[in-house]
Parts: sequence; structure tokens; C-alpha cells
Amino acid sequence: MTTASNLLAFLGLVVTLLIVWRQSWPARLRLFVAQSLLLAALASTIGVLAHRRGLLLVAAVFVVVKGWVIPRVLARIGSGAPVRRVAPGRSSGIVLLGAGGLVVAAYVIMLPVTSAVELPTEGAIPLAFAMALIGLGLCVTGRDALGHILGFLVFENGIFGLAILATYGLPGIVEAGVFLDVLVIVLIMEAVVVQVRREHDSIDVDRLRELRG
Amino acid sequence: MMLGALLGIPLVGAILLWRAGGRVATTLHALTAGLTLVAAVAVTVEVNRGEVLMALDGFLRADALSAWMISLIGIVGALAASEAPRYLAHTTPARFYPLFHLFVFTMLLAVSTDDVGLMWVAVEGTTLASVFLVNFERTRASLEASYKYLLICSVGIAIAFLGTVLVYFAGIQQFGDEAHALRWTTLLPLAPGLAPRVIELAFVFLVVGYGTKAGLAPMHTWLPDAHSEAPAPVSALMSGVLLSVGVYAILRFKPAVDLAAGPGFARGILLALGLLSVAVAAAFLWTSPNYKRMLAYSSVEHIGLVCLGLGFGGALGTAGALLHIANHALAKSVVFLLAGRIRIAYGSAEIAAVGGLMRRMPRTGAPFLAAMLALVGLPPFGLFVSEVMIFAAGFTQGFPGVAGVALVLLVFAFAGLLRGAHAILYGTPPREPAAEVPGWRPVLPVAAALLLLVLTGLAWPPGLTDALDRVVAIVVP
Repeated sequence: MTTASNLLAFLGLVVTLLIVWRQSWPARLRLFVAQSLLLAALASTIGVLAHRRGLLLVAAVFVVVKGWVIPRVLARIGSGAPVRRVAPGRSSGIVLLGAGGLVVAAYVIMLPVTSAVELPTEGAIPLAFAMALIGLGLCVTGRDALGHILGFLVFENGIFGLAILATYGLPGIVEAGVFLDVLVIVLIMEAVVVQVRREHDSIDVDRLRELRG
Repeated sequence: MMLGALLGIPLVGAILLWRAGGRVATTLHALTAGLTLVAAVAVTVEVNRGEVLMALDGFLRADALSAWMISLIGIVGALAASEAPRYLAHTTPARFYPLFHLFVFTMLLAVSTDDVGLMWVAVEGTTLASVFLVNFERTRASLEASYKYLLICSVGIAIAFLGTVLVYFAGIQQFGDEAHALRWTTLLPLAPGLAPRVIELAFVFLVVGYGTKAGLAPMHTWLPDAHSEAPAPVSALMSGVLLSVGVYAILRFKPAVDLAAGPGFARGILLALGLLSVAVAAAFLWTSPNYKRMLAYSSVEHIGLVCLGLGFGGALGTAGALLHIANHALAKSVVFLLAGRIRIAYGSAEIAAVGGLMRRMPRTGAPFLAAMLALVGLPPFGLFVSEVMIFAAGFTQGFPGVAGVALVLLVFAFAGLLRGAHAILYGTPPREPAAEVPGWRPVLPVAAALLLLVLTGLAWPPGLTDALDRVVAIVVP
């Protein structure tokens, strides 16, 4: 179980770093789907090895919601967006370096958790937390609505991975609540972004600067 | 049963209102709001007879702390509901009523469950239910406000989820049966044995997460936008009780953290964030050109004070903080409702565009003045009493430095808020406002809330001391 969870979480982190690196929206979306599928695989692996049937159901719902429904909505939101020019002066190298720093930070912050117990999955916990932190970073530094939403979803995925690794699955009602919640957030985001685009003819958040002080 | 009614009424009301229109909608709205208030009062009375109400196998549970919040949500909800038809007379009511009651439902659910996870779901639900209400007027500014609100609060609440996961993680290490490991009633007895470092980490995430929802600086950035752009009844609900629901969530975790990690940890965080919030608010109260934003920053200030009270702790500080939550809910919702009327009459939310309110609109100006005086903490209103309690706790519990700095900041905030109020109330208006709504009916709900504030300031109604004692016993075990 240790090997499997470490491997899957590591692959998840690699995909997350690729999301940071890539600039083209369709590529990032495909990477997000890949990350979601990896996490679903992680959930089902733990479900099988730790004899948690519930996790298999969670993994199935996860694939449907994050691997299929949400990417479709995201593609719909993104379809009207103009192709983003690679902004001059923005080097992926520096951003990747920042992401690397977040991975180190994740290990430090998660020390109390990993040292509290002896779990076969504990080695993967900081990796999942690193995914979450990088997602948070993407969300905070995102320069358009798509970047914000994608960052938020990566963040959410990381927390999901952490929850699976640390607790082998939360009570059903909470899991259900979380899925419903993410789905509704993305749908509301779509409605808001559609209106932003109509009002401002762009989804660049630099245009959103009416409210100050 | 009673809890079922309390939650069922706004939910069913929202569903029925989804398809209703015209006069039917207004009547149904009034009925839903009225019945919700009745149910809230009934639950409060029942709980304060010494009973703990439970439903669904303990999944829903209302103790004295829940009842304190339930009664506030009921009162402020009714107050805001009474203003809604007047507000909607100036616009199209599409979906306003159902979302309004859904918003109330999610807040009630958040404070009346024993399950940490369900509370999280409900708090997130408050954002989802209210985001379209913030963007109700569909202007560019309100769109921007709702976008920020949704994004910042969703990220915040996800951080709180991380904290919840860690609490659960610590809980199942202690407790084999996971079915109840996310219940307060199982978590609290176990708390002394929980891994202290994990709980500390979890509390940091929880404070950042729920603190975003509570409007604590530096996570408050969504608040002035959303409060100023939302329709007046929604601003009243958000400022009056939504922020307090965020505080409530932190409050629920505090005893567990105190038991697991010692009292110093939570106290340090709460004092730091409380002081920062008061400082940020004091600065922005001076610079805000828009009176609804000014009121929003005043909310940041008061939530900061509540956090200081909780941080100072002890029975006195905690009781002061809880009383302050109630007083602020009443005063701020009144002010926001009146601000909504002012905005409609003058057609602007800029302070510079409004003036001479006392002469031009006396039935709005006089209660506005009274509520502003209450907000800055002058007697005979309740906020004076609760602020005295909070600061007395600060000086007696051994934090004279923090309390002293906070007092100085409070004087700044006081002056900033009064300056704004003065500009609105007196002088000559740049343009004449529309005629005030005739008759005394619009004044009644506002006057009732102000009367309650005088009661908490001068003569506590029977039972208030007992109710407060019960709540404090839960927070300070």
C-alpha cells in the first residue's frame, strides 16, 4: 500500500507541476483531468487494500464529477476565451521554482501530522498537501477567471487526496456534501463568468477594479 | 420535532416561493419569515428550560449556544424580511424571496447540527445561497463583488475543510468507531487526548477558513464589496448574522483546542486577528467614501472586538463576546436597512451625495442616528455594556497591553464612524432626496430592534443572564 500510494501521489504532484508549467488552456484542462483520474485511482487503491468499500463508491463519483462533468463545464467556460498570448517576462521557470518551494513548505507544515501516527500512507500525505498548496498558489496568482477556477479545483483535489490518505475516507454525508458543493461552485462560477464576459468583453480579472477603498 | 420545524419552515418556504409570484409571493414570504421567527423563539425558550433538543439520531442538536445563534438568526431574519417587499418595489423580484429563505435555512442548519462535517457543508451553503443575492442588481460593481465573494469564501471554506479533515484525523486516532467521530458530543470528551500538534495545525486552518467567512482581517477583503453591493435586506443578514455564523464555527472548535493544546494557543491567534481587524477597520472607517462600505468596515471592527473578547476568555470575556455578537447583529441590521432606504431616496451610496437626512427624512434619520450611536458603543445601548465587559476581561485576565491598544484603536474607529454619520445626517444635501415613505409602519421593526438594544443596555430582560451563563458554560468547559 505504501508503494502504491506514494507512487500515485507522486504522479499527482508531477501532473500538478505540469499544470503550473503549461500555459495553454486546453493542455491545462487535460492535465486537470489526469490529476483527477490519478486521485480516483488512489482512492480506489486504498479502498481495496484497506478494505473500505465506501471509498470505491467515492472514487466512482469522483471520476464522474471531477473527471467528466466539471471538465465539460470548464471547457464550455473556456471555449469563448481568446487564446492567451504567453505574456512576455513571465518565465515558467520562476513559477516552477515557487512551486518547488511550496513542496518543501508542505513537508514542513505536515510534520505534526506525519509524526503523529504510523500509517502506511503517511509518506504520501505531504505530497497531497503540496498539490493543495500549489493549487492555492495558482488560484491566488491567476490572472483570469479560468486560472482562478482551475487553481481552486486543484486545491480542492489536493485536499481530497490528503483526506483519503490521512483518514481512509470521510463519513458519507461529508463526502457527498463536498462533491455537491464543488459542482455548484463551478456552475455558479460559469454563470458569473458568462456575465463578466458580457459586461467586460473579457475574463481578465484586471478589468474587475471598480470596488476600491 | 421542534428543530425539524425550525429548519423545515424556511426550506419549504423557499421551495414554494420558487414558482410563486406577485401578491402570493409577498404573502408567502411574510408567512415564512414570521413562522421562522416563531419557531426560533420556541426553540430558544425550550432549550433555556434546560433541555437539549435533538433530531435525526442526534445529527441535529441544539444546545444553549445553538439557541443563542438561532434566536439571533430568527430576529434579524424577520427584520430583514420586513424590509424586502419595500426594497423589491423598486426592482423585479425574480428569485429574491426563495434565495433569501434558502440563505436563512443554511445559516440555521449551520448552528443546529452536532456534526462538524454537516456544519461545514451548511456554512459553504450560505455562500452558495447568497452569491446571487449579492449580484441581485446585476450592475458591474455587484458582479465584481459577487465574483470576489464566491471565490474568496470558497477558498476560505476549503481551507476550513482541511482543518476539519485534520480534526477528524486526530479524532479517529483516539476513537475507533468513525461513525460518530465528527460529532461535537464525541469529540469534546476525547479532546484532552488528541494529538496537540495536529490540533494546533487544524485550528490554524479552521481560523483562516471560517475567519474568512467571519470577515476577520486579513481575510476580510470580500466583505466591504459584498456588503455594499448587496440589496439592503441581504446586507443586513450578512452583516448581522452571517459573520457571526463564521465566529460560531470557530467558537465550537475552541473548547476542543483548549483542552488538547492548552488555552494559550487559540488565545494568541484570536487576540492577534482581533487586534488586526480592529486596526484595519479603524483605518478604513476614515477613508471610505461610500457609507455602505463604511458600515461594512464597522462590521470588521465589531467582529474583531468579538474575537478579542473570546481571546481574553474567562467567563466575563466570553459572555461579553457573545453579548456583543447579539448587540451588533441588532444594531448593524437596523443601520443597513436604513442605509438601503437612504440609498433609494438619494439614488447614491456615496457619503458626499447625501446630507441633511435629519431634516429631509426624519423618520429615517432619527433611528439612523440612534443606531449609529449604538454602533459606536455609547450608552444606553447594549453595545456599551458588552464592550465594557470585553475590555474589563482584557484588563483583569492579564492583557492590559492588548486591551489598551484596542481601546485606542476603538477611539479612532469611533471618530471615523461619527464623522461619516454626521455628514449624512446634517448639512445641506447636494440634491433633494425622493419623498420619504409616509406613515409609521416602516419605523416599527426598526424601533423594535432599537428597543431590544436599550434593554440589553439598561435592564436585562428576565432569563438573559441564565441564557448567557448556559452558553458560557459550553464555550468555557
